[in-house]
Amino acid sequence: MHKALKGILLATCLALPLSATADDEKKPEAIYDQMEVFANVLSIVQENYVEEVDTASLIENALNGALSSLDPHSSYVPPVQFVEQRESARREYGGLGIEVVSEDGYVKVNHALEDGPAYEAGIRSGDLISAVDGVVIKDKSLDEAVSGMRGPEGEPVTVTVLSPGEIQRDVVVTRAIVRGRAVRHRVEQGVGYIQIETFTNDNLTRDTKRALADIERQLGGDIPALVIDLRGNRGGLLTESVSISGLFLDGGEVLSARGRDGSDHQRYNAERGELYPDMKIAVLMSPGSASAAEIVAGALQDRGRAIVVGRRSFGKGSVQSVIPLGQSEGALRLTTQKYYTPSGKSIQGRGILPDVLVAFVEDTGEIRSRFREDSLRNFLINPDETDYEEKYEDIIYPPEDHPDDEDFQLNKTIEILKTSQYQTILDAQDERF
Amino acid sequence: MKFVLPALGSVAAVALFAFSTTQQSAVAVERPAYDDTFEQLELFADVLARVRSQYVVDVDDSELIEDAMNGMLASLDPHSSYINAEAFRDMRMDTKGEYGGLGMEVTMEDGFVKVISPIDNTPAKEAGILAGDFITEIEGKSLLGATLSEAVGQMRGKPGEPINITIVREGEDPITLDITREVIKRQIVKFEDKDGIGYIRISQFNEKAANGLKDAIASLQQEYGGKIPGLVLDLRGNPGGLLTQSVQVSSVFLDGGEVVSTRGRRADDVNVYNGEKGQMAKGVPLVVLVDGASASASEIVAGAVQDRGRGILMGMTTFGKGSVQDVIPLRGGRDGALKITTQRYYTPQGRSIQGGGIAPDIAVSAIPDDGEERQRFSESSLPNAIANEDDEANLAEELTIDYPPEDFDVSDDYQLQKAIELLKSGTYAEKLAEVQG
Repeated sequence: MHKALKGILLATCLALPLSATADDEKKPEAIYDQMEVFANVLSIVQENYVEEVDTASLIENALNGALSSLDPHSSYVPPVQFVEQRESARREYGGLGIEVVSEDGYVKVNHALEDGPAYEAGIRSGDLISAVDGVVIKDKSLDEAVSGMRGPEGEPVTVTVLSPGEIQRDVVVTRAIVRGRAVRHRVEQGVGYIQIETFTNDNLTRDTKRALADIERQLGGDIPALVIDLRGNRGGLLTESVSISGLFLDGGEVLSARGRDGSDHQRYNAERGELYPDMKIAVLMSPGSASAAEIVAGALQDRGRAIVVGRRSFGKGSVQSVIPLGQSEGALRLTTQKYYTPSGKSIQGRGILPDVLVAFVEDTGEIRSRFREDSLRNFLINPDETDYEEKYEDIIYPPEDHPDDEDFQLNKTIEILKTSQYQTILDAQDERF
Repeated sequence: MKFVLPALGSVAAVALFAFSTTQQSAVAVERPAYDDTFEQLELFADVLARVRSQYVVDVDDSELIEDAMNGMLASLDPHSSYINAEAFRDMRMDTKGEYGGLGMEVTMEDGFVKVISPIDNTPAKEAGILAGDFITEIEGKSLLGATLSEAVGQMRGKPGEPINITIVREGEDPITLDITREVIKRQIVKFEDKDGIGYIRISQFNEKAANGLKDAIASLQQEYGGKIPGLVLDLRGNPGGLLTQSVQVSSVFLDGGEVVSTRGRRADDVNVYNGEKGQMAKGVPLVVLVDGASASASEIVAGAVQDRGRGILMGMTTFGKGSVQDVIPLRGGRDGALKITTQRYYTPQGRSIQGGGIAPDIAVSAIPDDGEERQRFSESSLPNAIANEDDEANLAEELTIDYPPEDFDVSDDYQLQKAIELLKSGTYAEKLAEVQG
């Protein structure tokens, strides 16, 4: 739960710093009244609590209490973290190439980038890190823990690692400039395959073009069909989702975003000129595909350019703005807009429903509930009430004797791309929209 | 030492819910001269203004502030919270016992509502809810992330109204229960004769605890024709209540002298609570039964009895809630109330039980030994729990536990059997001297 939340929060940096105009249309007296209650409570706590209290941390917790009650993606970003986030956006620091989360006081490796130095040194997702350079980081905040791992490129760091079922060990990792490889590609059963792990990478579109060129070369000058695998992709930069969609669309709308009053309606269009217009495309989705990944799938599906295969996606259809607060007061990450696919649907709390529902795991006789936006407390409700649920009887499951190391969803997708089913499914989209 | 300012209204602190040993006092409000407070409040107001003007949908200001206060107070410790006006009204109603509910003491753990103990003769108890159960859903809606008062509010309602709750018990599939709310009348003191030994159970320390105990003692004295030959005081599962009641209850067994002392943040903020002279149960051999769910006021009584050598503590180590909360009404309760931890308390020998709890003189388990080390759910398991200042207090002594035989029927109450056995064996005095030693 916390792990997933953290991942989504990390992934949702949509670069839209709004200018902060706080012109209130509501009655100001009401809020002053409320502020007075709050100020009163604060002073009682300062004066009477059993231990000394730190006012800044009280306010930080108050802000988080208020903001997290709005929706799961709004939060207060304290000054230290805010500076760090800006640094990490520049991506100029050396690191170990791991994504970490806090779990029961431990720092747990959520994901080790396969190209990162930590992975090379044998650290895997699921490992717990108890110390960095001999400094115990158990029960420290994630920020403190991570800051010890960062530093100049080329310097060694000793990390104390606990792998499940093994004895604690020290691993020496040499820091490197870490940039996750965003695109992987190969030719699979005569069909092009690209996997995009994240949209948090501003070279994504360039790398994707290169990947496509390489596939084209491997297939001898043409790509008849392509699988874009967005399973587990939690999103990232909005701009990248627009430009990736633009590779396969000849102009036109990719998405629109709307705020509370109609005025801040923004429309994002694809660039003119599409690559491989005759290429068949299937997008693979999973319940972990969120945000920017849903924008791409939604645009290609709505525009009739691709079929979507897999399971219903996560359903994060909101845009957060990072609003800096004064001098060194941190920032506010606030949900300011919802976004809509070209046909005007909001995916908030609903996700993208694939054209063909294919499961990854075997049939258990019932539809297993998955962790999605609508599992989060306080998620923004979507007023759209048309049916979007997956139906058990519509899902294609792998047969019982299906080997575990085979990717049933991918195989099924390739099978569709290679037969006339593809066109039938694409034609059926017209009836849906 | 403390004053009630007119601004706070004339309602002094009231508390009658799980885990609060509450003092009947209110607190002076002076504006402290913290330099950055004003700046911090400005930051807070700035954020609120931006949320109002830019958030994707309209927001309710008062809900926003309430969530802010909850976020702030919950970060202090598990027992500090903001009580909104409505919940505060309910709370005051509780003291009159006039609400429909399920009858259980609950706390918050890992974002879920956890049952500390179901109250005897209530719908919760009859439905089979056990201490340690997690309540995960009410009417099919997840409680994850809900505040304790939200959850409690949802469980309450008109007597006779049904409610559907889902509970999760370790190692089992979720259980969905349909329960009918009832007026929860708390018969908090019960007594009976057990094989010639007096047995008194106090299930909670509300205003009726001490008088209930005195009545029970009087009835038992009559039953035994004067002197009670031996007494078991059962505080198992008792989550606490009022500090003053715990002092009065202790007075029944102690002839004056210190029962407990409390200390606040400032060095001069020390209160010593002495027992009344009289000692109604003078000379009666006493075994106090405690377990991991005996908390707060229960621990005060157990600590006083143990430190003063007045009886033998039997059972398992107690919960370890060694802090005192004040309930401070805001604008006479119109703005709700604030419940904050203002003091720690100490046993007569100066021990703080915060986090560590009180270890029994004779450790007896209610359930057979299954070979597994059972993790105790205690104060220190709560997120943000205040640490004990005394490091040694947290070093749990290795207890030699007397387990019931493997085929023992748990409903036969092994701990109680052991207590009665000790009181009847003729070795009580010897044992008392030994545990003092």
